[in-house]
Amino acid sequence: MIKVDQVTKSYKPGQYALRDCSMLVQRGEFVFLVGPSGSGKSTLLRLMLREERPDQGHVFVAGKDLGAMPDWKVPFFRRNIGAIFQDFRLLPNKTVHENVSFALEVTGKPKKVVATQVPQMLDLVGLADKADRLPNELSGGEQQRVAIARAFINKPLILLADEPTGNLDPDTSWGVMRLLERINRTGTTVLMATHDVGIVDSMRRRVIELDKGMITRDQVRGVYGIG
Amino acid sequence: MAFSVDYVLKETATNLWRNRLMSLAAVLTIAVSLALVGSSLLLKQGVSVATSQWQGGTQLLIFLQPNATAAQTSAIGDQLKATSAVKSYFYVNQASSYTEFKRLMANQPDLLSSVNQSQIPPSFRVALKDPAEAAAIGQIFNQQVGVRDVEYNRAAIDTMLKISSIAQLVILGLATILLLSASVLILNVIRVAIFSRRREVAVMKLVGATNWFIRIPFMLEGLLQGLAGALVAAVAVAGVRSLFGYVIHHFRVQLLSSFVLTGHDLAMTEIFVISIGTLVGAAGSLLAVRRYLDV
Repeated sequence: MIKVDQVTKSYKPGQYALRDCSMLVQRGEFVFLVGPSGSGKSTLLRLMLREERPDQGHVFVAGKDLGAMPDWKVPFFRRNIGAIFQDFRLLPNKTVHENVSFALEVTGKPKKVVATQVPQMLDLVGLADKADRLPNELSGGEQQRVAIARAFINKPLILLADEPTGNLDPDTSWGVMRLLERINRTGTTVLMATHDVGIVDSMRRRVIELDKGMITRDQVRGVYGIG
Repeated sequence: MAFSVDYVLKETATNLWRNRLMSLAAVLTIAVSLALVGSSLLLKQGVSVATSQWQGGTQLLIFLQPNATAAQTSAIGDQLKATSAVKSYFYVNQASSYTEFKRLMANQPDLLSSVNQSQIPPSFRVALKDPAEAAAIGQIFNQQVGVRDVEYNRAAIDTMLKISSIAQLVILGLATILLLSASVLILNVIRVAIFSRRREVAVMKLVGATNWFIRIPFMLEGLLQGLAGALVAAVAVAGVRSLFGYVIHHFRVQLLSSFVLTGHDLAMTEIFVISIGTLVGAAGSLLAVRRYLDV
């Protein structure tokens, strides 16, 4: 599903964000990316979203070589990838319903589809009663659930999450994690960069650790620290 | 690529409303800039009309009697042809003289209504090889049958023409500079408006919106702002024209009595102002949104 093959990426000459990284993620896996700030987790996710191109090596997502993908194909590629972030990235002047339906409108889905799918999705994330609120009227956990609804509404093959619980308190974080687990059970591959030791330790999923742009650990049922 | 018209219209309308302060800023900038450009173009047109009767190097005007016969007219024509000092000449019949009269006197409706076409003299307009001979040649034709009057005291005309063409050039130059700075100003206002929405563009890209999907509502928005600003400017330009007319008429500014702006001049200026407004609005948005699209 995701194959990173000897990828090197540097933003400044002589400083590597990623150095000769290789990893393989199978369909339906749930993977944590851990490591200190600046270790290259976000860069790896940006490469997978084709927000950056690798300097060397190849990134394959859903069978496509992203480095070789022409710009005009990128929007169509991104519709198959869900992404959520620490800062939610919702459109501040659109309501919850509009934020979620936007991801469908972008793909040119007819109104009827939007009208039935969006309420279903909001129901799934438990926000059916807040459809007409604006993002700043919601709590952080609720905003992240809107972002998840938006990311998942196109039924993506892969969900990329960049510290989705970074701004949330532990209880709310668990709410978000349960939602991600549920999404993973539908067969969606989930790749999540995180600093949250508690979550990584108790979920017992595959853990890939990065340090200074290099992969230092890849454990099938790992914990945050060396275990 | 299926764009729903619905989506584009809804998106444009809500964006205009939610960013109404920015929209207002853009509309006002466009209105003020284009009003200045339009007014100066109109001014240039006025100066051009005021001097148009002297264009073509005419140094001698032979006015015929309004009731001159065709034979008398052609006799004078033949004589002009035979005169070696004449460089060129042409005949202006009653109908075209009357049209010109109406244009030049548009500010004086009383005069216009008291004169009809049959009272207007036809004329020959004559260019001489040597303008200094105007007086001598004028004398010869003054005595011909069918000639009512010869105007040959044209020494000042050349100077006036020169001043007029310099004035027109200066005004045109000013209008061009105004237009350029207006474009830059409008572009900048739109750019600021879009800069404040760069996060929005980034989110659109994230969920897989194509560049055109993002651009079209922005462009339509810019186009509407440009149109709105241009319409305000058009009203202002029409107001300036009325003001000119009022001042000239009311204060009987004799020197400017031939400074006339016809409905046609006004219409052309308005069309120019409105097309520039919409064009700059739409193109400005297109340019401004471009830089936030490369992610």
